[in-house]
Amino acid sequence: MSSIRRKAFVVEDESLVLINLEDMLDQMGWSIIAQAMRLADAERLAASTELPDVAILDVNLGGVQVFPVAQILASRGVPILFATGYGREGLPPEWQSYPVIAKPYTQAEVERALGEVLALHP
Amino acid sequence: MAELDFARIFQALPSPFMILDRDLRYVAANPAYEAVVGTPFSALEGNNLFDLFPNEGEEGKRLRASFEHVLATGEPDTIAYINYPLVLPDGTVTNRYWTAVHVPLTGPDGTTAYVMQNTVDVTELVRMREATTLPYTSISAATRLIERTRETEAASAEFRRLFQQAPAFFAVLSGPSHVFTFTSDSYVRLIGGRNVVGQPIAKALPEVIEQGFVDVLDRVYREGHVHAAEGARVMLENEPGRPAEETFLDFSYNPIRDGAGNITGVFVQGMDRTEAVRATRRQRLLIDELNHRVKNTLATVQSIATQTLRNADDVGQARQSLEARIKALSNAHTMLSNRQWHDTEIGHLVCQELSAFGSEQVQYGGPVLVVNAKATVALALVLHELATNAVKHGALSVPEGSLAVNWHEDEDDQLVIEWVERNGPAPAGPARKGFGSRLLHMVITGELGGGLELDYANGLTARLAIPHAAYREGEAALV
Repeated sequence: MSSIRRKAFVVEDESLVLINLEDMLDQMGWSIIAQAMRLADAERLAASTELPDVAILDVNLGGVQVFPVAQILASRGVPILFATGYGREGLPPEWQSYPVIAKPYTQAEVERALGEVLALHP
Repeated sequence: MAELDFARIFQALPSPFMILDRDLRYVAANPAYEAVVGTPFSALEGNNLFDLFPNEGEEGKRLRASFEHVLATGEPDTIAYINYPLVLPDGTVTNRYWTAVHVPLTGPDGTTAYVMQNTVDVTELVRMREATTLPYTSISAATRLIERTRETEAASAEFRRLFQQAPAFFAVLSGPSHVFTFTSDSYVRLIGGRNVVGQPIAKALPEVIEQGFVDVLDRVYREGHVHAAEGARVMLENEPGRPAEETFLDFSYNPIRDGAGNITGVFVQGMDRTEAVRATRRQRLLIDELNHRVKNTLATVQSIATQTLRNADDVGQARQSLEARIKALSNAHTMLSNRQWHDTEIGHLVCQELSAFGSEQVQYGGPVLVVNAKATVALALVLHELATNAVKHGALSVPEGSLAVNWHEDEDDQLVIEWVERNGPAPAGPARKGFGSRLLHMVITGELGGGLELDYANGLTARLAIPHAAYREGEAALV
């Protein structure tokens, strides 16, 4: 396995979905440097964690939206990948230019999306 | 029988009456007539009608001819329709249409000494009739009705009633400043019960000025085209004293033309579509929410399938585990669905998972505690994994083993669930971190932000502590 693992920051409020994403990232050679399942934790970590290569953000966290977290990460220059059951139409206009993976996503879809994000932010 | 006071009745009649002598000089007029001509009787008395209200035109001649006919023949005469403008005391001229009934009154000698006039203001009917000259198919039936209206007063009342009570709204605006001269009941409801007849629209409905509707009316009045809109968003004060509310209307403005083709006003008609638009929005919101939940549930099932297959020893066992996990998830959804997806009781969740076991082996209990939808799904999965583990490796894998599950709310309002297995096989301890254990940690410490204590000394003892905010805080209500 490569010694320079890419680093991801993950926000996802469903345990099962997060477990699945953890495994996918692990198999792709990524490590999760921080993860949060609730908005308050996500905001705190977004501001304090070491800079990841990408942030994968579930849009709906138990009824509240993840965008305050996205704002913090964007201001720190972190590339963002949204994950949502709503698809791109579910994003407000100011975030619609960001890459999106639609739930439920496959490992291949996550891999492709991460590749695109990294290509945009070399 | 008391003697009737005819003078008082004459004064009290709500319809305009006046009496002229043979020289067409006023000898009597009731207050209703004074109001119509805007002149007190004291200023009318003894004056010739045509001196006070000169009219050298065709209509003036018709009126004079009718008076003379009654005075000459002693027969009543009716003018079905007369266009007779009034000069109001402030100098403005208002164009009114009348039906006039002229009745002879005899003097002491039996000859006709006076003529009494009763007038009915039919201006609105005329305006509506003008409106129906427009190329607007939906009122063509009404056009025919209007034609008959000219002949029969009874029909005119019926026609007016039809417009008045129609479910669609109608209003007639007159003149370049768009003065309301007719509003149907539904139009009045639309504008919050405001009495606007006689007022220009800019004064009557000031909130529409900024929204550009007066400008549109100006153009229709000036240029004579039809303005139609579908689902137009209009902010209207539709409750007295309340701020303007969002209303959605299908409506049209049609120019009203007189016989010579000149535009005299604007006919407004339409339908209030607000409820339909709101229902569509609500439906959109529900579909979005449903889509979100279905996709999330599918992602959950996807994870269950992946994890089950990854950790299974053989396909048969994988199928059983998969079915049982999906069934546990489905049971939680059923419980939520039965309560409009609001919340469930922790007791029902525990019972759902453990009721299959005999009471000599499994005991559980605790107070009635309500948990929200998110915690319901999370705890159902966790309880299922704990029970599965007990059956496979723990106390429920041997006949002499026992399980006790108790819950309560502690002094910090946390929901505490204690899972105690005893007399099982020698505990293996947390040997390998399987799916069940991983899910348990992630749900309790991550998803619900709680505390988890595990002890394997005398069989598994698990203490799950879930903060009040995580299991009680309601989700955003739908709609």
